[in-house]
Amino acid sequence: MAGQSDSPISLFSPEEVEFIAEDELMEIVPNMRMDPLNFICGDFGPFFPQIPVKVPLWLAVALKKRGKCTIRPPQWMTVENLTQVLEGEREDQGTFQAVPFHYIEISRLLFDHSAREDIPDIYMVRSLIEDIRDVRLHKVETNLEKFSATSAVKIAHLSAMEVNVVRPFVVRSLQAFYKHDNPVVTADLDSMSNRQPQVRQPQVPNNARRIVAQDCPLTIPFVLQQPLKRR
Amino acid sequence: MNDGASRNANYYDLDDIVIEEELVPVVFHKSANGVKVDPSAEKDFVGRRSEGRAAILACSGVIFEASCINKCSGMFQPKHIEGIELNFHFHVLGRNKGCGQFLCQKINMVGDRTIGKMLLSTFQMRYKDILTKAHTVAYAMASKFLTVLTKEETNLCEAAQHSMATFKKWRIGGPRFQRASVLGRKRKPIE
Repeated sequence: MAGQSDSPISLFSPEEVEFIAEDELMEIVPNMRMDPLNFICGDFGPFFPQIPVKVPLWLAVALKKRGKCTIRPPQWMTVENLTQVLEGEREDQGTFQAVPFHYIEISRLLFDHSAREDIPDIYMVRSLIEDIRDVRLHKVETNLEKFSATSAVKIAHLSAMEVNVVRPFVVRSLQAFYKHDNPVVTADLDSMSNRQPQVRQPQVPNNARRIVAQDCPLTIPFVLQQPLKRR
Repeated sequence: MNDGASRNANYYDLDDIVIEEELVPVVFHKSANGVKVDPSAEKDFVGRRSEGRAAILACSGVIFEASCINKCSGMFQPKHIEGIELNFHFHVLGRNKGCGQFLCQKINMVGDRTIGKMLLSTFQMRYKDILTKAHTVAYAMASKFLTVLTKEETNLCEAAQHSMATFKKWRIGGPRFQRASVLGRKRKPIE
């Protein structure tokens, strides 16, 4: 799937990542009766008053805005759980805690769109999620210092939005590392040592570079191709 | 689809093209007619072992025919390479915005392994020291250290800042569910 954002260095805008997150299933409690809804992504319903049912987040928000349901917050969105995650993030600087892949987008959609009265301790929950996000982003930045001339980067439990924020930088960094440590050049230089210098013929490497959010339900590979040079 | 478009966009690397205009010192191995390296010379002729300056683009073709060798310019003399290894790299590389591309071109022509290794180690040092902070550094600070970055490092830094700015804009932005402009209008009566 290709992003629609205009910048060539950022394949997905935050809005597009949010759009993807809207397909996550949420539990709602309808207050109306309605036949099943048949979508391309699946069938949802039937809807009966006070009977919980799972629907995509976008549908949950749409029904909530029309006063047709209450949204049950996800199990991870509790003060106890989030406090535990925050403590874990602060204690262990080397690894990331396992959080939902779209936790930033889901929490923002629920906080901003009418689900405030449905989430217990909303202010505390919101504050904790912002703290977790800040700690994790700082940790991501710290981890960037450990990059070297590698061919791939694997960071476990990184969320979709966190990957999206660092992706332009990481992709360009790997390109720069590759450019300055090009094995083709090194091989050429070995063969050039005993003869007159020559112009190197352009070669396209077979290896590709990627950053992968490991152990996540969705991985976003970013394959880099060495650009063909004008000669 | 996007990957292909991105690859095509990179096909002509403008930085590489621009840097090919850079003049470098050369020594001719053979004499040649119709070549004018020194603008003040009366004839279009270069003698054997004569020295001059030529654009990288021109050098590439001449070197291919083994007619001349390319000398390291003053900026890349051993004393400066030593200086880079002694952490003066910010100053030295910061003097030339296109330094990264320039060095890559030089690696291809000069055959000097030390330049390639020096470039990689220098980039790694600068990457760890300043570039990895690009996401969270304040704008005033960022504009300060942008002046010592090469062009490709500036691009790297701006990519990080742009990405973070877009994220923050999204986080504090307004409603995304926008009402379609056609909704709510009264329909025109059918005549």
